[in-house]
Amino acid sequence: MRKTALIFFPAFDWAISPSHPEREERLLYTRDQIFEEGILDNPRIVEYKPRLAEIEDVERVHFCVPDVASQTTNAHLISAGSALKLGDALLNREIRNGFALVRPPGHHAMRVVHGNRGFCNINNEAILVEYLRFKYGIRRIAVVDTDVHHGDGTQDIFYHDPDVLVVSLHQDGRTLYPGSGFVDEAGGPGAYLKTINIPLPPGTTDEGFLKAWRRVIKPALEAFKPELVINSAGQDNHFTDPLANMRVSAAGYGKLTEELKPDLAVLEGGYAVETALPYVNLAILLALAGEDYSNVIEPQKRGTVLRQSEEIEQAIDRITGYWQEKLGREPPGKDELFGGKGLYLRSRSIYYDTDQIYEQQRESVEYCPDCPGLYQVESRAKKTWGDSRWIWGMSIPLYACPACQARAYEYWEKIIGKKNSGNGPDCFYLQDKKGNRYLREKG
Amino acid sequence: MEIGIDVGGTFTDGVVMNGGQVVNWVKKETGEDIASSIQGVLEQLLAGIDPFSVKRVVLSTTLITNIIAQGRVAPAGLILLPGPGVNPRDLPFAAKAEIIKGAVDYRGRIIEKIDPAEVSAALKRFLDSGISRIAVACKFSQRNPALEEEISRLIEEECPAVRVLASSRVSGLLNWVRRANGAVFSLQVSDDYRLFAGEVAVSMERLGLKCPVCILKADGGTIPLEQSLQRPLEGIFSGPAASTLGALAAGGEGLTSVVMDTGGTTTDLALVLEGRPLFSEKGAFVNGYPVCTRAMAVASLALGGDSTITLENGRVVLGERYGKAMCLGGARLTVTDALVYLGLSDLAGREKILPILEEMSRRHGLEAGELAEKAVSIFLESLERKLEEMFAVWEEEPAYRIWQVISGQKKRPRTVVCLGGPAKGLGILWGKKKGWQVIVPRHAQVANAIGAALSKTTLRLDFFADTQQMIYSTNIGGLHGSLEHILPNLEEAKQFAESLFRQAAKELDMPVSRSETLYEEGFNIIRGWNTLGKIYQIGMQTPPGLRAFLEKGAGTGA
Ligand SMILES: [Zn+2]
Ligand SMILES: [Zn+2]
Repeated sequence: MRKTALIFFPAFDWAISPSHPEREERLLYTRDQIFEEGILDNPRIVEYKPRLAEIEDVERVHFCVPDVASQTTNAHLISAGSALKLGDALLNREIRNGFALVRPPGHHAMRVVHGNRGFCNINNEAILVEYLRFKYGIRRIAVVDTDVHHGDGTQDIFYHDPDVLVVSLHQDGRTLYPGSGFVDEAGGPGAYLKTINIPLPPGTTDEGFLKAWRRVIKPALEAFKPELVINSAGQDNHFTDPLANMRVSAAGYGKLTEELKPDLAVLEGGYAVETALPYVNLAILLALAGEDYSNVIEPQKRGTVLRQSEEIEQAIDRITGYWQEKLGREPPGKDELFGGKGLYLRSRSIYYDTDQIYEQQRESVEYCPDCPGLYQVESRAKKTWGDSRWIWGMSIPLYACPACQARAYEYWEKIIGKKNSGNGPDCFYLQDKKGNRYLREKG
Repeated sequence: MEIGIDVGGTFTDGVVMNGGQVVNWVKKETGEDIASSIQGVLEQLLAGIDPFSVKRVVLSTTLITNIIAQGRVAPAGLILLPGPGVNPRDLPFAAKAEIIKGAVDYRGRIIEKIDPAEVSAALKRFLDSGISRIAVACKFSQRNPALEEEISRLIEEECPAVRVLASSRVSGLLNWVRRANGAVFSLQVSDDYRLFAGEVAVSMERLGLKCPVCILKADGGTIPLEQSLQRPLEGIFSGPAASTLGALAAGGEGLTSVVMDTGGTTTDLALVLEGRPLFSEKGAFVNGYPVCTRAMAVASLALGGDSTITLENGRVVLGERYGKAMCLGGARLTVTDALVYLGLSDLAGREKILPILEEMSRRHGLEAGELAEKAVSIFLESLERKLEEMFAVWEEEPAYRIWQVISGQKKRPRTVVCLGGPAKGLGILWGKKKGWQVIVPRHAQVANAIGAALSKTTLRLDFFADTQQMIYSTNIGGLHGSLEHILPNLEEAKQFAESLFRQAAKELDMPVSRSETLYEEGFNIIRGWNTLGKIYQIGMQTPPGLRAFLEKGAGTGA
């Protein structure tokens, strides 16, 4: 019998700041609850020790400005490393599934990292996905993000990757940070409908949450046939969460976990440190281990039934209906989506709430009939209190064709040869996922 | 002078120590009755010794293990207050359980009251089935014992003959299953244990010993016999503690080593790291049930000196024990016999082995030496796998803090201390094969008794305080309560913990001079934008170690 592995890393000695929601106290009560239950003596559950992620594991995913060391602390590397450790245990067939109950979180960290966004610096799940694909030759992975906030970082990183299905279930971006995650963000032209956003109305309960899973996500996973399912297990959909407005309970999270059967779950947000986290974390752990979680009932919930209004019901039916219809049809082809020029271009601005940075980005993806195509980004960021950065980066997809890979190095030589100090980007990056080679040049 | 006695399954060892010097030692077969075995050993030890010069007697016994393993326990029941969480029916409780209403949360807040009628009904069902000892376990009772105490009071009022024990009196550590089982076993063995303690006191009296008697604990510390009556489980599994301390005494201060204690049927492996025995992360198991007793981490290999050597389809196999080694008059060829044949044992009787060994070898086309070597190398291979497993567990111990993760690769020991008859020969071969340093203590045959005699009084306090709830709790059963002062900073919290430490030492009748801090943490309790209080976690203990180490030359390298 293979076990459910737990890495519990509460980072009792790390905080963004003493009173920040992401502080030492966050998993204290979860620790108490899980330890007190005696569940760690359960023969179906095994505890693993966290480890650090390597710099290269981060470079495989991010363009950290100016480098990985300046964007991460040991806590970040341990949080990501814990996910990798469970990934190794899973692929080595030591365990049945695993839960990285770790902080700090990561799902708001995008490909380019100028600082902390939504409490995140580096994206734990994305680092896990790329690590497992690189190391074990897995191709198709699905990430299901059940945090109340749109998993915009994970979406951004895999937006042009047809082999990673990113599904995010979250409170409607018109009512919550980060203000994105609408249905029209559905993947780049080479990975269309490999990003699925299900914005739910504030006030959604277990019922609506599970309806979105059963009607949209479950069939989407069945169609995609991932080799591995990763759950970004944020817990801020909970009815007591102070940062959001949903009405999901520990039982709802337990049920979803039981049905989703993720291979690996990684904790994301959840800031009701007392009323939600001890119970939701326990329910998820029990569901992963195939144990009964029906007695995990929040004291606040006892004797009451969380109901959603008719209006909410209808909104959920609309959004799930939209996706059922959309996913039921044959999507347009890649050539058609790229259009005549064979080039995808996007300009946008990104705001880093925690570090108060404004970033301007221009991205491009080249059309290639044989592979996802080369990705380039130019990004300038300015902190409100001065200091600005300008970077340029290019990414060779893991499954790039040899021609695209070779062309990327030609571009790189040309750009580095022409670089003009003082009058161009401060930093140049070449991320060769196919060759597992990560270059960085100062401007 | 100090006396140490270790009552093992087969032998009872005793030593009289004068500092690091063995003054006298005795090794006898353990009889039916443990108390009289102790008396017999004490009598022999005291031959020619003035009882007044003995300052302390430390006992390590298998008494509690035997009572439980042989099922000689009094029936007990369990009243559970699980509150929200894991289905209690799925948890490994050691007694018939009645589940009732009433719950406390992780902050010690009562989130559901009890219903006295339910308590009454549960009590009646227990009495009807002949159970008159009842343990009460409420989740998070260490944070707030009120519900457990209320139930205890209700039962005592309704039926004074019933013996009740609240789990928070047994331990204050997180893990209510372990606390509950600890309470059950404590109730079950308390009568027999009391009887034993009384008999020991009579023996002491009879032999003119006026000094204190202590019980060796599973964690290698000691507790006065009188105090152990309240906490009988503390003395369970003290055997491995005794042998580990015995090895440390021979290896010297700061020893980093594997301790290999080979008996007839099993080999126990323990780790000493820089003079400190390694503890099991979670606590011990009794009869397969998890309990709250802190114990040393011991890995057991199901092979010992009496494991038999057989041939199956031409392959050498080690099997179960059938009796003594052949060199000692047994009927079957054993690992010990192989060691004797190879000249790696102090035992005589090679001539008794030869005919059978040669006959067996010939039948399978082997040389006698080949067969003996093969048997021993199978043992060493199993040992290697077990050590690998043990190291992996140690290296993979969970870490909850950054510094624990980054503090670097743990360094595996490359020294082995060999205890028990066959260990010496096996250790020498292991040392040759792996290039390890091998220590065979001069008094290896009574190492456990030496360990008991040289053990120190130890105390560990895990302190927890919540200044919003104004409560504190500790790992020590029964030591919890309300805060009288707010404890505004870690420094004051530490002072308070230190005062509790001193108080506990006094109440447990333990002379404690120094303490060291294991960890210290302060958390801000923040709701909205307000700091509502602090939570402190502080760990302190007396420095581990021994009262003395064996004098130089006591350990022989090989
Ligand atoms: Zn979130
Ligand atoms: Zn290509």
